[in-house]
Amino acid sequence: MDVLNVEYMLGLVPVLLGYLPLTLQLAGVGMVLALILACLFAVVRVLRIPVLNQLTIVFISFFRGTPLLVQLFLFYYGLPQLVSALTVIDGVTATIMGLTMHFSAYMAESIRAAIVGVDRSQTEAALSIGMTNGQLMRRIVLPQATRVALPTLMNYFIDMIKATSLAFTLGVTELMGATQKEAAGSFLYFEAFIVAAIMYWIVVEMLSKLQHYLEIRLNKAYSR
Amino acid sequence: MKTLLIHSLIIVSMMVSAPALAQGDPLRVGMSGQYFPFTFVEQDTLKGFEVDVMNAIGKEMGREIQYQTANFSGLFGMLESGRIDTVANQITITEERQKAYIFSEPYVYDGAQVVTKEGNTEVEGVEDLKGKTVAVNLGSNFEALLRELPYADQINIKTYESNLERDTALGRVDAFVMDRVSASQIIKEKPLPLELAGPTFSQITNAYPFRDTDAGRALRDEVNAALTALRDNGTLASISEKWFGTDITQP
Repeated sequence: MDVLNVEYMLGLVPVLLGYLPLTLQLAGVGMVLALILACLFAVVRVLRIPVLNQLTIVFISFFRGTPLLVQLFLFYYGLPQLVSALTVIDGVTATIMGLTMHFSAYMAESIRAAIVGVDRSQTEAALSIGMTNGQLMRRIVLPQATRVALPTLMNYFIDMIKATSLAFTLGVTELMGATQKEAAGSFLYFEAFIVAAIMYWIVVEMLSKLQHYLEIRLNKAYSR
Repeated sequence: MKTLLIHSLIIVSMMVSAPALAQGDPLRVGMSGQYFPFTFVEQDTLKGFEVDVMNAIGKEMGREIQYQTANFSGLFGMLESGRIDTVANQITITEERQKAYIFSEPYVYDGAQVVTKEGNTEVEGVEDLKGKTVAVNLGSNFEALLRELPYADQINIKTYESNLERDTALGRVDAFVMDRVSASQIIKEKPLPLELAGPTFSQITNAYPFRDTDAGRALRDEVNAALTALRDNGTLASISEKWFGTDITQP
């Protein structure tokens, strides 16, 4: 058993930190887009809008039913084979596309569940005092649904941050890609990957704190 | 709506014409960055024999070199889809690859080498691989070389994206097959208990692959001219001496 090369690990920290912004950018942009898409899907599903509802069901089924890595390869290597102009999809774009579609499929279902979960009496009460459908959604249903959906949505965000580590397979040097290359150059695998692991861990830990804070805020109306 | 129209026009025009690399455009080069000492990363700096040779070629051609790193198995996909112009990763010229790509003049002559964990007395050459588990890089020529052996069906070939040296040192596989020069260099410079097993068993000739298009052919000719110049003025030999202590750029 070799001795742990602590000096090498410390030297690696600033190097790998330089790639953390790209990792966060991939997950951040992916999360915002996925949320928007997921909300649209959820509304389509709840309101059972004809045609769109069926399309959404197929979309969700496909992107939930196939591995993210397969989807990334399809977007990045596969599509340009069919239409050569799609080479404009670079690794970062393909990663964000993959993350967005993959996670929106999951998130749509948990948002839908949260909306459906709001007690029917709430809707009836709102309508009985003359609220429009829009007001009903904005003021009554969505605020309550958000509270229910938040923990699972944060879960998906955390998962998405870690899923960005697949981007190196598309030539995107993010945190994992940079670590892999450094490890291959030094052959000090444990040192390199434990530094990367701790970085992911710290980021996720900070998010958990944020989740906790948001949950307390959203629960204010329910606690006494 | 207007921007959408412009975007689709741009996309259509790109489909119609794939223009040759203009004067002064950078040459986009793909490499794994995980093949010591050909291409590797140390403290965020991409280094190695391939990088030095490519930089010299770029200087000779008057073009900037743009490096794109990705796992080895993805490099040909990036070449195929036009995201890079060539691959600098010890690409061996094979019949199979010649069907799909055109190659520059060779710039490295090397041999396939079996490498085992230090002290392994069972495997002392390629003929001992029968019944053994052998690691190779996914999509590499070494995998094809193993499959050509008459007793290939008795070899358990395991393909790796990277890190097969470590797995051999750990004893997870009996051996790995790689080129002789980098294997010797790893054994010499890195803290892994490995040893060469027997002599090389196949000569390999490495060059730069290009897409088989007008633009690709023009680029290949440009690179060939640069390679000839670098060979004649001794640059290739001195880069090789620097990394390997021997000239691997001559047959």
